[in-house]
This record gives sequence, structure tokens and C-alpha cells, in this order.
Amino acid sequence: MARRYDSRTTIFSPEGRLYQVEYAMEAISHAGTALGILASDGIVIAAEKKVTSKLLEQTTTSEKIYLLNDNVICGVAGITADANYLINYSRQIAQNYLYTYGEDIPVEQLVQRLCDLKQGYTQYGGLRPFGVSFIYAGHDSHYGFQLYHSDPSGNYGGWKATCIGANNASAQSLLKQDYKDEITLKEARELAAKVLSKTMDSTTLSSEKLEFATLSLNDEGKVSYHLYKPDEIDALLKDFDLGGAQDTPTTS
Amino acid sequence: MAGSYDRALTVFSPDGHLFQVEYALEAVRKGTCAVGVRGNDCVVLGVEKKSVLKLQDPRTVRKIVMLDDHVCMAFAGLNADARVLVNKARIECQSHRLTVEDPVTIEYITRYIAGVQQKYTQSGGVRPFGISTLIIGFDPNDEIPRLYQTDPSGIYSAWKANAIGRSSKTVREFLEKNYKEGLSKDETIKLTVKSLLEVVQTGAKNIEIALMTADSVIKNLEIEEVEAIVSEIEKEKEAEAEKKKKPTASTS
Amino acid sequence: MEFLIGITGKDFVLTASDTSAARSITVMKSNEDKSCDLNKHNIMLYAGEAGDTVNFAEYIQRNVRLYGIRNGIELTPKAAATFTRKELATSLRSRHPYQVFLLIAGYDITTSSPHLYWIDYLGSSAEVPFAAHGYGAYYCLSILDRYHHPNLTLDEAKGLIKKCIDELNNRFIVNLSDFKIKVTDQDGIREITI
Repeated sequence: MARRYDSRTTIFSPEGRLYQVEYAMEAISHAGTALGILASDGIVIAAEKKVTSKLLEQTTTSEKIYLLNDNVICGVAGITADANYLINYSRQIAQNYLYTYGEDIPVEQLVQRLCDLKQGYTQYGGLRPFGVSFIYAGHDSHYGFQLYHSDPSGNYGGWKATCIGANNASAQSLLKQDYKDEITLKEARELAAKVLSKTMDSTTLSSEKLEFATLSLNDEGKVSYHLYKPDEIDALLKDFDLGGAQDTPTTS
Repeated sequence: MAGSYDRALTVFSPDGHLFQVEYALEAVRKGTCAVGVRGNDCVVLGVEKKSVLKLQDPRTVRKIVMLDDHVCMAFAGLNADARVLVNKARIECQSHRLTVEDPVTIEYITRYIAGVQQKYTQSGGVRPFGISTLIIGFDPNDEIPRLYQTDPSGIYSAWKANAIGRSSKTVREFLEKNYKEGLSKDETIKLTVKSLLEVVQTGAKNIEIALMTADSVIKNLEIEEVEAIVSEIEKEKEAEAEKKKKPTASTS
Repeated sequence: MEFLIGITGKDFVLTASDTSAARSITVMKSNEDKSCDLNKHNIMLYAGEAGDTVNFAEYIQRNVRLYGIRNGIELTPKAAATFTRKELATSLRSRHPYQVFLLIAGYDITTSSPHLYWIDYLGSSAEVPFAAHGYGAYYCLSILDRYHHPNLTLDEAKGLIKKCIDELNNRFIVNLSDFKIKVTDQDGIREITI
């Protein structure tokens, strides 16, 4: 009877570890980096795209950054198919909350609900854990702007600046070095670009390899989400002297 | 060695072991230490707190949680598992109030939590919860402090003082040696801190203390208060060391 | 024959409910509290089919409490009212619908503003500056319409409630002897007398 589930569900190793979960995290550490920085007047999420091709239509699909609800966006690292499923799930959660309470879901609750699902897949059902980490950026009336991180185990935590995916250790230490408590969104954008330029495999930064989004409040105090278009990203990179599409420095 | 008996989900091995449960206990032993001590008219929870990273939001790092207005819990083991179990317990607390108009007794909610944990050692396709819990509180209209413990196997028991998690054996032995009946509020807190210091080398900044008094009001001690107690304990230790030195000096 | 009333003021909501529990033409009890605290800043007043009322109110109360304890934050008046309305609307389409009339009054600590919601057993809900349920509403709404303004002070609101009660005592055939009056503001919910 139980054999059906045997080999697949995550189980404890003799040392009390969950290898499947640890392997899932390992898978993520090869994925493109995504980072988030909490500023006093907004949040920035930036991510490195791994799939690049001249033939890829860039304007229609984003690969790393998604809108979950009017007040929450996320950056992903890991298995994109798993991410798609979870994004869809969290969008449903958010709409369901709106239906029940007539208000946007508080950020932490959305994160928590998603993490409960992730946790479930490490404990029952006979399926492997989800191979994705998320960075969530959101705003609600209870705690203002918030940045969260979650991993395949179903753990989550709030951060001022954090990152997931390849080279996350070095990116994290760069963030730790340069993050200031009263950082503005403008400075956060620059820091995000700077950190990515240092941790990405390629020497040149361009819109081809980057996704960029910010969350801030507009004049009416409503949350506004801005997913940067390729030419906006290039313009931004030029501003910061970090490359751009055309005048890319040659590698030596 | 254990062959296939530790791979299938929680079935008996020929020598009568439930390996998954034992491995789950291993996960608990890897978790941070938590201590509970019962005083004369109060009960105290103390936990070893991992240092909050510079960029982390301390609000989202919780080791001591409320299950209802009068029940408090600390855990050791997998964080995400704990969150899910806590959620189930919180629902039961409110559901109990709805059906019988009374708040849960501490034993009732402990039995419920242990029951859920037991179910996960015997159901198809699931692994046990990788956590042990300490549950404290006062029964409604009652002044006797309560302290219970549950573990991944689903066993629960009442204690005068106990510890779970990393190095819990050392702490328990310390408590066995130093526990006295009828401790006052300050003495209970002090014993809790003292026992935690057996395993926490870094002092007050990695200790979190919650005190519940007979009015069922929970109070989380400020870091300064914990610091004061730690330094008081250190002073006493020094004085004791001095005392020990003196007689040996006189005999030589 | 029951009577519920709520008035929003500048930074509070004043609510009152009659205290008689009646069955047919007989008053069984005269000190019934027809309200329950949902959380620190939200109160629900209920009237309608005896039994349905308390059962439904307790169900909502426990769910709102659960929300608070689970999430570490409390529902706002709007969220509590939306949730309650949805539960009533779901119930209406079941085999045994609840027959309850509700007022939900609360102080939103995130925006520092008072709110009042009028909800009936059909699941209609409206946010209003003042509201009443029961026969008493016929006598009081005109008074409230005439004297209510958004910057009402607590003393003015008390006076207004008194006017309404006096009118009931004058005109209404049923004797509603006593009322439980509560204020909900920044500091929470408390009972007062006027």
C-alpha cells in the first residue's frame, strides 16, 4: 500500500536532514540571480536572465519578475515551471482574499500561504518539493513596504535587502556592505544594478540579460508597479555607467 | 545497515524502531534550544535565538508564538513545520471556544498538538513533523502554572522544567540539579536564563525570554532586562569561583 | 421589536442596542447584551431570530479572533464587514439561512477613522454615517438625518442617541426599557451611560 509513496516523498535522513529539500536549494543556486532592496520610498527587484537569444521576444514575456497582486510583486530563481504554478496559486490566494475581505491581502499573509503550500510538499503527497525560491516585494497599510524571501523548505523571512540564485553569497555580502538604512529608491536602483554587474557571469550588463522592476507609491498614495522595458533598462544602466545595449566594453 | 526500513515511510523495522520518527528527533536536536520552567505562580519560556542578520527584519523571526490569548508555545526543529502545526493549533483553540464557550486547557491543546504529530507518524505518504514543542499557560479560572512538552512521535508529558533542541540533555541535567519547588517570578526567570547560558555562549543578545503570570498575560523581556540578569549570573559565578579558590588556598 | 442604532462621529462610533430578550409577547430577560466584540477595535450588534443571532455572532467573532492570532494583525472594520456579509450571503443560499440583522462598528487604526456598516439578513451591506435596525429605525432615521454631521463630538452623539431613545419612549407602542450603549474609538471598546 504505502509503497506507492515510498521513494518519492521527502523523508528524514538519519541525521535528521531533508535531502530532497537541500537538493532543491542546490538547483536554485545555479539559477539566474534575483535580488531585492527595500528603500524608504519603495522597493526594487532586479534579476539576471539566463535564457537569452536574439530571437526571443523580450517585450511580451518576463522571465524572472511577476505581479502577484496589485500590491505585491516577486522575483524568482529556480525551476520556472514550478514558479509558474506557484505564481498562479498565489494570484488565486490574493484574489480570494480580496473577495472575502474587500481589501488587498497583507504581504506577509500572501507569503505565508505560499510557504504553507511549499512546506506541504516537503511533508506529504508523495511529490518532490518545489524547486524555486522567491523574493517578494509588497506594500500594505499595516507595515508599509516589505521585502520577503522564501525557499523550497517553506521557510520565509523579512529582509531589508536579499538575493537568491547563483552567486547569492557574494551578492549578499555586497548588499551588506553597501546597504544604508535610509536608502532611497533611486539609490537602491543603482545598488541593485551595481551588485548584479559584479556577480553576473557576463562582463557586460544589458537589457538582454536583465529584468528590473520597482514598487512605489504614486501621488494618490496607491501602490504603483513599474516593470522596466528593455530601452528603459539600457538607459538606466547608462546613467549608472554600468553598460547598456550599444557601447558595451570589450572583454580582454 | 537499516536496509529499506528507513526509506519506507514510518514503518517498523524488525527490531521495533520507527526510523522516520527517530530521524525527525535528530532534526529537533539540530534546532535551537528552548527551555521551559514552572515557578510558583508563573511559568517561563526561554529560547536560544539565532543572531538576526544585519539585513534581516527581526519582526519576522519568531521562536515563541501565541496559540491563544492564554497559551504560549516555543519549538525546536524545522521552522516551516512549526508554522503549519501552530496554524492547526490556533484553529483548534478558536474552534474549542466556539463549541464549548471556554478557552482550551493547556493539557487539551497539548494533547491536540501531540495527536496531530502522532497522525503524521502513521498515515500513508507523510513524514513526521520535525519539531518538538514546549507549551505553557494557565487553565481558565486556575492559578496553577502549566508546562507541557510534545515530540515528533506524538508523546506529550507535563514537566516542572524541561528543555528541547540543541544540547537539551545538558540543559535538562542542569535543570534537574538546580530546580527547586516554589520558585518566585524572578527566580524562575533567572533559572531559565542560567540554564540557557549552559549552551548559549554569546549571552543576552541570543536569548529571548517570555514570562506568563497567573493573569495569563504574557510578557516578553526586553534585551536590557535579559542583559541585567545575565550579568548578575556572571557576577555570582565569579563570586563562587572566588569562594572555591579560598579554601583550597588555605589548605595548601 | 428589537432596536439597534449606530452613529459615527469625528473619531469614534457610538452604538446602542435594547436589552430585552422577548419571546412572542413576553419579555424573558431585560439585561441582554446584543453586541459582541470582534476584536479590540470592532464591535458587532445583532438582532433577529433568537438563537440564529448569537450563533452567527459567535461564529464570526471566533473567526475574526482566529485571524488576529494567526496573522498578528487585526481585521479592519471594512474587512470584518466584508467577511461577515459574505458569510451571510453564503448562508442565505443554504438550506438553513441565518435570520440576523447586523451593525458593525469599528475604528480603523491603519487610517485612524471610524466606520459603520449596516448589514441585513439578505447579505446587503452598506457603509453609512448612521444606521438603525428594527421598528425603532422608523422613528430615529429622520432625527439622525436632521442632526448628524461628520464632525460630531462624543457629547453631541450622546445627545443624539438620547433624542432617539426619548422619541421611542414617546411614540413606540413597545416599551424598550433599557439600552446598552458603547463607544468604539482609538482606545478600543467601552460601555458608557447617558
